[in-house]
Amino acid sequence: MSAHGQLRGQLREHRPSVLVAGLGTTFGVGLLTMTHVFEQTVAADAAVATSGTVSTMLDLVASVFVGLALYVGAIVTANTFTTVVAGRTPTIALMRLLGSSARDQRRAVAREGLVVGVAGAVFGTVAGLALVVVAVRVLAGQGRLPDLDYSFFSIGSVVPAVAVVLTTVAAAWVGSRRVLQVTPLQATDAAQDAPVAGGARRVVRTVVATLLVVGGGLLLAAGVVVGQADPTGVLVAFAGGVLSFTGVVVGAHALMPAVLSGVGRLFGTSQVARLAAENAVRRPERSTRATIGIVIGVTLVTTLSVALETLRTFIHSIEQDPSYAAELDQVFTTTLLVVAGLVGFSAVIAAVGMVNDMSLSVLQRRRELGLLRAIGSTAGQVRRMILLEATQMALTAIVVGVVLGVAYGWVGAQALLGSAAQGQLIAPTLPVSLLVGLAVTAAVLAGVAALVPARRATSVTPVQALAAR
Amino acid sequence: MPPTDPFPSAAAAAAPTTPAPTRGGAAAVARVEHVSKSFGSGDGRVDALRDVSLDLRAAEFTAVMGPSGSGKSTLMHITAGLDQATSGRVLLGDTDITRLDDTQLTVLRRRRIGFVFQAFNLVPTLDVSANIELPFRLDGRRATADERAWIDWLVATLGLGSRLTHRPHQLSGGQQQRVAIARALATRPDLIFADEPTGNLDSRAGRDVLEVLRTATADHGQSIAMVTHDPVAASYADRVVFLADGRVVHEIGRSGAAEISGVMLDLERAA
Repeated sequence: MSAHGQLRGQLREHRPSVLVAGLGTTFGVGLLTMTHVFEQTVAADAAVATSGTVSTMLDLVASVFVGLALYVGAIVTANTFTTVVAGRTPTIALMRLLGSSARDQRRAVAREGLVVGVAGAVFGTVAGLALVVVAVRVLAGQGRLPDLDYSFFSIGSVVPAVAVVLTTVAAAWVGSRRVLQVTPLQATDAAQDAPVAGGARRVVRTVVATLLVVGGGLLLAAGVVVGQADPTGVLVAFAGGVLSFTGVVVGAHALMPAVLSGVGRLFGTSQVARLAAENAVRRPERSTRATIGIVIGVTLVTTLSVALETLRTFIHSIEQDPSYAAELDQVFTTTLLVVAGLVGFSAVIAAVGMVNDMSLSVLQRRRELGLLRAIGSTAGQVRRMILLEATQMALTAIVVGVVLGVAYGWVGAQALLGSAAQGQLIAPTLPVSLLVGLAVTAAVLAGVAALVPARRATSVTPVQALAAR
Repeated sequence: MPPTDPFPSAAAAAAPTTPAPTRGGAAAVARVEHVSKSFGSGDGRVDALRDVSLDLRAAEFTAVMGPSGSGKSTLMHITAGLDQATSGRVLLGDTDITRLDDTQLTVLRRRRIGFVFQAFNLVPTLDVSANIELPFRLDGRRATADERAWIDWLVATLGLGSRLTHRPHQLSGGQQQRVAIARALATRPDLIFADEPTGNLDSRAGRDVLEVLRTATADHGQSIAMVTHDPVAASYADRVVFLADGRVVHEIGRSGAAEISGVMLDLERAA
């Protein structure tokens, strides 16, 4: 195969990773460049004296959102590379058999990560800049932005691209760890699918996660207690939230499979439901990484929504002036929409990862699906199984996110408002629009994740599927 | 380790409701009539089967032999309702399976046909017990008391009693094949198809598996069709049918491995 053809083949297999890198860069370049534009409008406005502080603040806030998107993107890419390596095991084993070292094989996979990162970064930088230029022209044309001679290039147009290349290579390196476990013998093996053994690392991770969750939980409680007397309790609670949520992410390998199993049990005891439930946790690490990004996004959006909604309800209960209340509502709604959009972008990247994970995992299970068809599963049963699997993952991610988000949102509101409410407990307010939105998201996500794999799984005859390697 | 005779006569006497063997009966459990199968078209067209007619008789262990590319696997796939014939028809009992749609075929496979493949027979996420019961569960039901007793007996006889909660990857290749055979026998199907069932096993485990299949026919009247290119495996069968170049070219009764090898060599020379 020519080097050119090989490159093309790799890009095809890594299309989802290129998409993730591209989306991350687009978001990063777009957001930072837009911030740069706003800073120019602020600087042009003589009325704002402290423009230096404002631009630093804006940069900082934008960087947090970009960092979040890149972090989620890295999790997704690491997962995709692990899955791709699993699918390539026979080829890697053959190369090992012919004398290639495991390290060479792993380095080759990491090089693909570099190609993926660069491709995504280039595509994303161009797309991000183009989007901002168009948006600014349109907004200036409508008179909603001052018609200045904006400069679009800043450090913010370059940093996301560099960061994406670095995180993608790092993710590919982490995801290619399994290359080292492939033995030359596997080239000839028709071995049964065995679960991946966990190592000592998991014990350390579990301990660290537990400490973070317990410590964070105590700070959250302390925040509520302090908040009964003074609004600065919210700062204590915030630290507790950051710590405990870091613990949840670090300990996701223990949490997510447990919740996945629980949600799987909700689907009943039919054979199809049972198979789907088992499939969703057959590779706990993989299911964890496929869902944790969505958990992060949903938790943050829910936390903000519940906190703001609870705050709004509280203000309504004490504020008598209806015009002021309406104005406040407007501010809250706008804030929530903007922040939800910015955080939600990470969730979109995570969703790409889940869809891709479903697709690859079904592809790699072709023989098993052929066996099921041969011994009597109808095409409908196979499709239902795949749909249930996807539903289980989407539902689990969103339920975990909502539960955590409601808890954090309420703790935040209570710690902030406890003193104003004379030490009373405030009931958390759950925005109905958020719940409806999340339910719709879960349904769409499960449907999209299952659609292509289910069709592909039942479009081949059992004989073709059984012959697949 | 498994006993040499996997169905000891004492256990056989205690076996619940075993169908009476109908030895040497002319009744066909499956009938292949003028079946042809071709892949591709034009210059790339390959005729895998050319006008094959064959009766598989009830309570008989039939081996289908032939060199690679002779069409033996294709014949098995079509007879078992896994693949469509280009022309001709296949009867399973009175059912013309070439007229069934995909769902009807699936239900037929679930209820009336058992399968043992060369490898990858078991669902990796299910334990041994769940793998054996899979055909019932896919039918949306549990095994009846009578079927339960039969399954328990199979499990005990095949030496799987201590393995019921194990996952497939915890079993040896021979044990995996025994689970596959238990699953295939569990529904007491009209016909079991075995596709190179010993192809992935060492010779000792292979002999055990073949002995199990032979005894299932001899003691329980189970009709079995086995595709193989191994003369030793074929020597366990009551009848050996030879395929070459998509046609049935020869047939012999129960024979030794040397005799079967001789026929194979003659076929190779004629080719």
